[in-house]
Amino acid sequence: MIDRRAIRNFDFTLFVTIMLIIVFGLIILTSATHATMARGDDPYAHVKKQTISVVIGLAAIGFILKMDYTRLVKYAKFIYVANLLLLISVMVIGEEHKGAQSWISIGSFSLQPSEFAKIAMIITFAVYLTAREGKLRNFSDLIPTFIFFGMPMFLILLQPDLGTALVFVAIYFGMLFVAGANPKNLLALILIGAILVGGVLVAQLGFGLDKPLKPYQLDRLTIFVDPYKDPKGAGYHVIQSLVSLGSGGIWGKGLFKGTQTQLNFLPEQKNDFIFSVVGEEFGFVGSVGLLILFYIFIMRGIKIAMKSKDMLGSLLATGIVSMITFHLLINIGMAAGIMPITGIPLPFFSYGGSSMLANLLGVGILLNVNQRRQVLTF
Amino acid sequence: MSGTNVVIKKRITSLFLIVGTILTLLIGRLAWIQFVRGDEYRDMAIRNRMDDIPVPAKRGLILDRNGEELVVSISSDSVYAIPAEVRKGDPDKIARELARILDLSFDDVYKKLTKKTRLVYIKTKVDPAVSKEIRKLSLPGIDIVEESQRVYPKGTLAAHILGIVGKDNIGLEGLENKFDKYLAGISGRIVTEKDATGRDIPQALHDFVPPVPGSNVVLTIDETIQYFVERELDNIMAQYAPKGATVVAMDPKTGRILAIGNRPDFDPASYNDFSAENRRNGAIHLNYEPGSVFKIITSAAALEEGAVTPESNFYDPGYAIVSDRKIKCWRYPRAHGAQTFVEVVENSCNPGFVEIGLKMGKEKFYKYIRAFGFGQKTGIDLSGEATGILINEKKVTPINLATISIGQSISVTPIQLVTAMSAVANDGVLMKPQLVQEIRDSKGKPVKTYPPEPVRQVISKSTAQQLRGILEKVVSEGTGRNAYIEGFRVAGKTGTAQKAGKGGYLPGKYIASFGGFAPADDPKVAMLVIIDEPTTGPSYFGGQIAAPAFHNIMRDTLRYLNVTPKLTEEEIKNKAVKEQILVPDVVNTSLEDAQSILHEAGLEARVEGEGTWVIEQQPKGGIKCPAGTSVILYLGTQGKTVPNGREVTVPDLTGLTMRETGQLLAKLGLHINPLGSGIASKQDMAPGTRIKAGTTITVTFSPRIPEASP
Repeated sequence: MIDRRAIRNFDFTLFVTIMLIIVFGLIILTSATHATMARGDDPYAHVKKQTISVVIGLAAIGFILKMDYTRLVKYAKFIYVANLLLLISVMVIGEEHKGAQSWISIGSFSLQPSEFAKIAMIITFAVYLTAREGKLRNFSDLIPTFIFFGMPMFLILLQPDLGTALVFVAIYFGMLFVAGANPKNLLALILIGAILVGGVLVAQLGFGLDKPLKPYQLDRLTIFVDPYKDPKGAGYHVIQSLVSLGSGGIWGKGLFKGTQTQLNFLPEQKNDFIFSVVGEEFGFVGSVGLLILFYIFIMRGIKIAMKSKDMLGSLLATGIVSMITFHLLINIGMAAGIMPITGIPLPFFSYGGSSMLANLLGVGILLNVNQRRQVLTF
Repeated sequence: MSGTNVVIKKRITSLFLIVGTILTLLIGRLAWIQFVRGDEYRDMAIRNRMDDIPVPAKRGLILDRNGEELVVSISSDSVYAIPAEVRKGDPDKIARELARILDLSFDDVYKKLTKKTRLVYIKTKVDPAVSKEIRKLSLPGIDIVEESQRVYPKGTLAAHILGIVGKDNIGLEGLENKFDKYLAGISGRIVTEKDATGRDIPQALHDFVPPVPGSNVVLTIDETIQYFVERELDNIMAQYAPKGATVVAMDPKTGRILAIGNRPDFDPASYNDFSAENRRNGAIHLNYEPGSVFKIITSAAALEEGAVTPESNFYDPGYAIVSDRKIKCWRYPRAHGAQTFVEVVENSCNPGFVEIGLKMGKEKFYKYIRAFGFGQKTGIDLSGEATGILINEKKVTPINLATISIGQSISVTPIQLVTAMSAVANDGVLMKPQLVQEIRDSKGKPVKTYPPEPVRQVISKSTAQQLRGILEKVVSEGTGRNAYIEGFRVAGKTGTAQKAGKGGYLPGKYIASFGGFAPADDPKVAMLVIIDEPTTGPSYFGGQIAAPAFHNIMRDTLRYLNVTPKLTEEEIKNKAVKEQILVPDVVNTSLEDAQSILHEAGLEARVEGEGTWVIEQQPKGGIKCPAGTSVILYLGTQGKTVPNGREVTVPDLTGLTMRETGQLLAKLGLHINPLGSGIASKQDMAPGTRIKAGTTITVTFSPRIPEASP
């Protein structure tokens, strides 16, 4: 009974699209990692680990589909507190890797709480906003949301993980906008933010202050404007990424044949710059193909948001679509040299179990909202 | 649908639109990177991973007009290693093999083979046999590349024209510089693939792009004529110890240079050992006041303008007065008295030319000076040609005009003067001087030819003919008698110019020169001999010291070019009348004694070698010769000759000059019976034969210099 309806309402298009993206991602990850592993190591270690994450993620989706998303209201407070505790614990017992203390080791796996924090924030904020439906007209109504988002964001900035903090901002605005906040207020907020960011940039670039951003962080953020200013240093990533993409041409050099990738000229090729591997080995056709797959996903996600039976469903779907879309745009913009390097991974592609799992949890929530879009009239 | 209100739907739609727009922009950006700039990034990707090591191309040859090699490139092999490839094999074994074959220490080779670099040279300039052995072993990661090196088979011959090549196969001076783009060829490359961290790459590309050899440049220079010039320049330096000397020979009908020689000179193979002064090509760099040779130009202009005719009458009181200044004739205080124009030229009479120059006026005279190419570059294919100096026409005073008429107060370069003289020889047509006749690719196929380039008709054909007749008389009857060659009609003009320095002319410093061409009726060679500041010898007059050198070169050149001598009736008569004298044997006497014995007998004495003791003579004693014949005395040290009867070994004489042959044989106590002229090509007794001192060896000389082994 409930199962039949669940199957009828299962969004196969969305699921198949995601699976295509994931398989494509695993192939690219193989290409990006197998040739550059140190001698003696398993060249497929990364792909194997990533595949395990996918399997766990799919299992999680199955688990999520069993329960109704509306029950999340009950757990919202618990999730919010647990999230904060995780973020605090990463400050205490976390491990530092590439200058950011973002990981917690559990046995041989390491967990990245900030990835799950995004999902946690989407769920809890959706519940929070649903409770305040129609009470978001005034600017003063927004003040509690600052605190709501501000606490976890502050913890993430402490790591420091600027990328994730930016994703938080995207989720925040996306969900508030859909929840009915006054666009004028949102615009005012964005303006204040822009003035603050602009002020910091002017202060640091124009007057040589070295706070709040460290000089190397500032370099990474601004180098995309002119990477040839420092081609061997801060600009190296962007230049090599552009060379990888550009040298792929229309059809690409073929799988495992990208010289930039295979000879390791492309830095961070399994993480931040994995899209450049797609561009190099599959060319314009491959990279646009991938964008089209993501486009289908976004379209389906938005449809789910619109068809949801309630405000909560709409907000959950909006949050998840905002998160993944923001990741996508920033990551590809970074690879294409038109956005600052902020270390935001490409969803379902970049190597990382926590990120894969968190994104698949998001997909599970989307599918759940879709399945239960009809109001039950028993 | 029921739970969401219209506002939410509207807002979701607008979010979707924003995202869609950004996605479209991203696709546009990707198209820009991957379509529009794809090629550029492809090149960058290649440069990222490919390491290029250039392999210089084999430089083209420089040949004389007959295809004789003046400059060649020999290739030497260099052994190099690609350490990454070597590591795949057994570096220890490879190092041992290489150390053995190349005669290097094992440690050094091993160190190089295991260096953290993509390519390393093990040894350069390896013997071909050795490199063959290495090739045969085909050691992994070891390869051989050919590199070229410049070699000058003719030594210093024509060094100033050929120029020099610096490191990296770049022509620095002379034709090597001017024709670098043809000679250089295109460098090849050794390409190796690397990864970002310089690690070994499985299946790494290792490619060799062979270089394209340079083209060969065929000169207008004739090696043999150049050799005559070099020989005579050596004699000039030995006899007159001047600061420098220059000879330029040109085919007047085409403007093609037959020879250019300068002293001091240098060895292009080791040019760093010589000063820039030695490397200066005086033929194009020397700005000098030509003196009386320039009277050819004055005469040409005056005849063409009708300012004079050959029969015009002049009177020389021994000087001319111009603007209160007395310009003396070289004969002053004696005077030439009444003369025709022809005699004025024959006598090189200064007052006569001053009168002619003043009569023409500066406008007309300058018109011809410019038309003959003075004051501007001739456009010869060498860098840094000087232009000479003309006094600004507007500022020319009568005294200037008077002195220019006799070749002072004007600066010219040797190449300008030869070119101008050639115009007279070429019926008035000025030709552009040329050094290169053809470019051929490395297989010998012509790529580019340089046909003769007429510049302009300076004087009419009839004026040119008339002037040639007058200049012939200068040689046959006038100041140029020392340039006279029996059987040939030689036209020319002597010159002796005082050198100008700070505050006027320098006392005792002269430039002696002789310019002319032959045969006068159908000129084949135009030539200028310049001797800068002679310090020793009989005199500093061009007619005394430059004309004999001109004579020697021209005589040999005309014979070499197979120009048939035409003896005049007078000459035939003279020949018959000339007394036949028995040459006395002066071997084993002191030089002084020998000279006086020969003079008493009515013979001339010419000296070869150094010393005070005559060790050999040519022709030998007992032979009959016409009066006035030069007997060559080979000098040495008394008692150094091998006594007759003692056994000596016959040396290999091939390639030696007549002088060298004579000296060598004399030292061994052997006599020479020379046939022909030029360079020894045959000898009647094989080298290595043991013969008795006092024997005569017949040596055949031929004008063509045999090819030296590269």
